[in-house]
Amino acid sequence: MKSELTNLKELGLPEEELFSFVEHSDTEAEKITAPRYSYWQSVFRVFFKKKINIIMLGLLVLIIIFAYVYPTLITYDRYANITDSTTKHLMPGAAIEKFGFSLSWILGSGGSGEPTFDTVWVGSRISISLALMCAVINLSIGVIVGAVWGFSKKMDMIMMEVYNTLYNIPYVLLISVLVLTLTASFWTMVFALTVVGWLGVAYFIRTQVIIIRDREYNLASRCLGTPIRRIAFRNILPFMTSVIVTLSATEIPSYISYEVFLSYIGVGLKDMSLGRLIYEAEPAMVTNGWQFEFWSPVAVASIIAVVLYVVGQNLGDASDPRTHM
Amino acid sequence: MAKYILKRFLHGLISIVIVVAIVMMLIYSLLDRTTIFSEDEVYRKLQNNARTTYTYRRWQDYGYLHYVNYNDWLNEQVREGKLDPETKDEATDLGRKPEDDEGVVAQYVKEFTDYYESQGYKVERLKAVTSRRKVAAGGQAELFAHKDRPLVSRLWSYFSSIVTIDTIHYVDEDVDIGKRELTFTTHDPVYGGEKFSPAIMGNGTKHKYLLYFDDKFPYLHQNLITINLGTSYSVNKDHDVLETMLQSQGSYVTRPTVFPSGHVEESADDLHTAIYLEGSLAGSELLQSRFTDDYTNVLTRRGGRSKVAFSFSIGILASIMAYALGLPLGVFMARHKDGIVDKLGTFYIVFIMAVPSLAYIFLFKAIGGSMGLPTTFDVNNGTALMYVLPIVSLALPSVANLMKWLRRYMIDQMNSDYVKFARSGGLSENEIFAKHILKNAAIPIVHAIPGTILGALTGAIITERVYVVPGTGNLLTQAINFYDNGVIVGVAMFYGMLSVVAIILGDVLMSVVDPRISFSSESR
Repeated sequence: MKSELTNLKELGLPEEELFSFVEHSDTEAEKITAPRYSYWQSVFRVFFKKKINIIMLGLLVLIIIFAYVYPTLITYDRYANITDSTTKHLMPGAAIEKFGFSLSWILGSGGSGEPTFDTVWVGSRISISLALMCAVINLSIGVIVGAVWGFSKKMDMIMMEVYNTLYNIPYVLLISVLVLTLTASFWTMVFALTVVGWLGVAYFIRTQVIIIRDREYNLASRCLGTPIRRIAFRNILPFMTSVIVTLSATEIPSYISYEVFLSYIGVGLKDMSLGRLIYEAEPAMVTNGWQFEFWSPVAVASIIAVVLYVVGQNLGDASDPRTHM
Repeated sequence: MAKYILKRFLHGLISIVIVVAIVMMLIYSLLDRTTIFSEDEVYRKLQNNARTTYTYRRWQDYGYLHYVNYNDWLNEQVREGKLDPETKDEATDLGRKPEDDEGVVAQYVKEFTDYYESQGYKVERLKAVTSRRKVAAGGQAELFAHKDRPLVSRLWSYFSSIVTIDTIHYVDEDVDIGKRELTFTTHDPVYGGEKFSPAIMGNGTKHKYLLYFDDKFPYLHQNLITINLGTSYSVNKDHDVLETMLQSQGSYVTRPTVFPSGHVEESADDLHTAIYLEGSLAGSELLQSRFTDDYTNVLTRRGGRSKVAFSFSIGILASIMAYALGLPLGVFMARHKDGIVDKLGTFYIVFIMAVPSLAYIFLFKAIGGSMGLPTTFDVNNGTALMYVLPIVSLALPSVANLMKWLRRYMIDQMNSDYVKFARSGGLSENEIFAKHILKNAAIPIVHAIPGTILGALTGAIITERVYVVPGTGNLLTQAINFYDNGVIVGVAMFYGMLSVVAIILGDVLMSVVDPRISFSSESR
């Protein structure tokens, strides 16, 4: 708010425009003057105000390009050099010397003579796809179920029992059994991670809905006869936007982390995901000169997770209307 | 309050039953049964019908189904006196094809088939496999009956056998083992019968020693009441999950042992753990030189600690470290919001939250290793140093978690009316933080303490695997890899129990710390 007085002459407007009679109008009198406010515009304004977000978003774009575009540009064959023992386990310097400089060899070569850099990005594509797919499924089911769960008292009773019971089943066991039953393909993994995964999201949303449901403005709205559906979509959902965005910020990296964990205990994907790369390269960690094979997928997995997390968190902050002032 | 807790506990028990039922359904119905043979050498060597009967026998061992072979049934008939051995020998000779069965054989085959079909079994007859008119290897004709165990009966037998009380009728009544009795002795024969050490011994019971003293904490031990969570098949054959967890590990500890036969030897056998094993004595000369009865199945004394002991000591120290570091840091971050510590702390939290846990545990391992700390566990020649890395790896993520939540709760409290009131009343910031905000913010933290302590018992899967800790964390994954169904169910049950108890204890502790929270309906 500007507090100092404005000199009218400085505005440079003619006298009659400043002081002229305005006809009385009933319709105009009903209008409320408020600053123009567009929700999503404000979200992005707040989001891009932070420099770190621009950097992170740039990194995210770079990651997506490398994970989804780069593998289509190269011809990747994991076992192309398998017969040539001199190509295996090379440090970056040695690999570039051997194969000539190209992006593929800047991280050296792996146990089958494959370029580590390419392997990592091929693996990233699977891991990112898995994480995104699981997040989309879990969040959409979780949010819908959670919203109903929060509103209906009867459903709350049933769902609390379901939640308490299912959360006692060791998650590792459930996933292992599912992976062993169905083959360890991409979609099996998605199924295994989402079959009870939505329950956690739904529980979280339920708690949020219950908190907001009984606020005064919703009680007032109900007293005025607003139907529940309208309350849900108009009064509560906007409140939930930032919660959901923040939640997805933690969900997506957690699936990458989970995939790595599952691969490590031996029930992961059969495809070359990041988790499987880490699992297979574990012996390389302690072998001198082989560390690049191990630390590259670890570092890339960490970078992807951190970038997704930071972007998501800050987007979640920005989507909270209270930060739009 | 007591009524409420009891109600919650019963509720928890019901949900445990459901969990066990779901787990059983998962492993017995959903999982492909043939996968248990993927690593089985015997299975690979067997051929034709022998392989089929072997499969069923194994399935019976793993608890999938009831299986009766024709020959076993005939032997049983002989033992019961319904059949004389000569007829039996005649009856065993199955024809190559069902049509080839002759007189006696056909008669008993029909009896077997009729009996088991009336019991709901499925009777299968395998024709002999021949190559060049001769019976091929493992190709003998087979007749057997099998029946899947229904879930309800499996559940019932599981829960009814969780707590068993040893009686003198444990050993099959038909077996002659002399007088079945419990005897009280003041001079335990394990110590040569000269030292004063009271013990209760049984004949006909499962355990030979029901009550005895030894030099291990808590000195007085009993075998009268045993808890069976699930018998292992491959991870630790014939032993219960709980026993697997509590058994000491590592190298043998030998000491001069007086065996029941009077034989004295430097041995690691712990005679107090002797269990009845039918027919074991007659089959082994080695056992005959040491034992006088069929109580020959003994555990060995080992020098290392048990799985639970390793997991719990690491887990509990890590928790203490996490609370000792996380709480002050969280308070400091909230107290000086947007300060340098807050920013660094937030960065650390983001790091732990986002980076896959496997990645930072490896990072800790690499850093610790380069500092000269031992990175793998040695059960036998342990030093205190080998605990450092697992504890740190477990504690640092929990530190981040505690920091995150305590900071969040405290900042939420900072805007509440009572804080503004306290400030306007002239209290110093330190007083407000220490006396008012912290107390309120700590309530949800307190709720998690029992869970943390009990959770330490279950071990940590990744940490234990990375540092090769022989703890409980690996038991579940190990059991899954070996398809050890008994252990899987037992571990699931164990986890379920702990989590039910932890949540109830958390609620109780919360109501103790915060008088506003009450679970009894009158004061509401």
